[in-house]
Amino acid sequence: MAILIDEHTRVLIQGITGKVGSFQAKIMLEYGTSIVAGVTPGKGGTTLHGVPVYDFIEDASRNHEVDVVLCFVPARFAKDAAIEAIDNDIKLLVLTTAGISDQETLSILNYAFTKGTRVLGPDTPGLVSPGKCKVGVHPNRVLKEGSVGVVSKSGALSYEVCKQLTENGYGQSTIIGIGGGPLWDITQRDTLEMFENDPQTKAIVLLGEVGGTMEHEAAAFIETSMSKPVISLIVGRSAPKGAQMGHAGAIIEGERETAGSKIDALIKAGSHVAKNPAEIVAYLRKLGV
Amino acid sequence: MRLLEFQAKRIFSEYEIPIPKSVLITSVADVAGLAFPTILKAQATVGGRGKAGAIKVAESASEATPAVEELLSTTVKGHRVQAVLAEEKVVVERELYLAVLIDKVAKLPMLMASSAGGVDIEMVGRDSPEKIIKKHVHPSVGLPRYVLQYLATQLSVKERMADLTNIVEKMFTVFYGCNASLVEINPLAVTPNGLVALDAKILLDDKAAYRHPELFDQIKEEQNRLAKSEKSRAQQLAEEYGVTYVPLEGEVALISDGAGTGMLALDLIRDVGGRAANFCELGGLAGTESMQQALEVVLANPKAKVLLISLIGGLTRMDEVAEGIVNYLKEHRVTIPLTVRMCGTQEEVGRAKLREVGIETYDDLPTAILAAVSGVAAD
Repeated sequence: MAILIDEHTRVLIQGITGKVGSFQAKIMLEYGTSIVAGVTPGKGGTTLHGVPVYDFIEDASRNHEVDVVLCFVPARFAKDAAIEAIDNDIKLLVLTTAGISDQETLSILNYAFTKGTRVLGPDTPGLVSPGKCKVGVHPNRVLKEGSVGVVSKSGALSYEVCKQLTENGYGQSTIIGIGGGPLWDITQRDTLEMFENDPQTKAIVLLGEVGGTMEHEAAAFIETSMSKPVISLIVGRSAPKGAQMGHAGAIIEGERETAGSKIDALIKAGSHVAKNPAEIVAYLRKLGV
Repeated sequence: MRLLEFQAKRIFSEYEIPIPKSVLITSVADVAGLAFPTILKAQATVGGRGKAGAIKVAESASEATPAVEELLSTTVKGHRVQAVLAEEKVVVERELYLAVLIDKVAKLPMLMASSAGGVDIEMVGRDSPEKIIKKHVHPSVGLPRYVLQYLATQLSVKERMADLTNIVEKMFTVFYGCNASLVEINPLAVTPNGLVALDAKILLDDKAAYRHPELFDQIKEEQNRLAKSEKSRAQQLAEEYGVTYVPLEGEVALISDGAGTGMLALDLIRDVGGRAANFCELGGLAGTESMQQALEVVLANPKAKVLLISLIGGLTRMDEVAEGIVNYLKEHRVTIPLTVRMCGTQEEVGRAKLREVGIETYDDLPTAILAAVSGVAAD
């Protein structure tokens, strides 16, 4: 099982001939991802790493079934690329691009909503169901197939935690990076719901940070609707008030945006709260996962 | 990017949102040309200027001269004042509040309004949120007439319906036209001559800078000239390079290749009794050049006693950032101890490059942090 992607998922990459797209496509192919096509306007008719490249998604769709579009297109052209994917009725769009303006992100998310496309990101590392499919840029060495679901705003923090899990023998069902924000379609709460309904997932690791209020929604969902154990780690406990800590989502403004208030809400909701990746492993041991 | 009041008002006047007559002055000599009475407002990109004493009323030139002199020599919340907006004094019957922004949870633009405008709007929002009217405005629907009528009723300005309609519509035009994150009027004054924006606040989305190059260049050039805040060398460099940099009080300089992992490192440093000198992260896609720039930024802080570079690459390639470290060390003498944690994409190549210049890397973050923090104690 796993969530959103599995061994049957067929992937199309937008921007596959670019420096980043081509490098990451090769790593994903080595991992075993079924990349059926790539799209780069003007490069149609060529192939890259054995993958056929098309000018438009429409051309690719005539020859291939596509479940997920992974976008590596730079910010300047990303909205256009996203709209093309949505126009082609793609079920899931994974938008790795960082630096798309908030108003353009709004257009993308609202249009996707009207057409029934789910969007992961922008500014997401993507997602991986270890052993089955990787639609993202996670370093392969931190991945191991198993039963822990991982959801994170930050890409690198999820690598950090998966490294700890994998080195201690805890494999993952799916690792999903929702993106740095501040605007999301697929949220932490949505992901928790998917993990709750996934038979492969036995426990969930929720990685959050200062800024925004999304962790409070996640806490409310844990309290009312989760039967599986959730272990949370909220970073930025030592962040100064009012500072912009990198992610667009990580500016501490109101009281609800502090790490402390999120930790309190998660504890109250019944989540275990770890202070560092090693404590996450300790909780998993204690829970007998 | 936050605009100075006079910059935001210039945009308002281009879009025909009514503002008081005003003139920007940068020296005491400019007082000679003013009409009285006048309101003198220090230009700084901070809120709460009134309470900070950065807004003064002058009835005559003899009052204005010392007031301008004082304002031009003050610092408001860390911003040295170099310009004053001298504005015509308007008869104010009531003060309202209007704003257009993005509601991040609903993922829609939102209009906010209140009849309780003025200096305490934050307190109104916190203590009596029912006094703030909130209406989503879907881009494909536009601004419905009923919302404007509702607003006019709630704000008790039904007799000013045409004024209100014009102002709200123009605020949305500014919001979309400049790719703003916020367009705010507080207060919007009800005067015998109609509605007037006494203050203007615009936040532009930096991520859209390349869509409006002329506007952003002009705003930046003016701010560099007229609102230079007191910044350290490290902060200035960070701004120039577009590196995320937050100065902190401690001794452990930190560079991370992601915001989340950077904040984790910050927390772990504190948990073992260390103090970070800064927060600095390269974002998900860093390369050779951005690593060199980040090194220059964090090492410009004289308080840094040790340097920790914490890297766990996905999109970021370890071979590329290692090259950045090597290049920097070739060109600069780094006198403080350097600890590097490196794993992830292309880590073998990255580690080998660093080994060639005598740098051994750590694989485990807590171990690297302990090594870095103990370097401060040994100093």
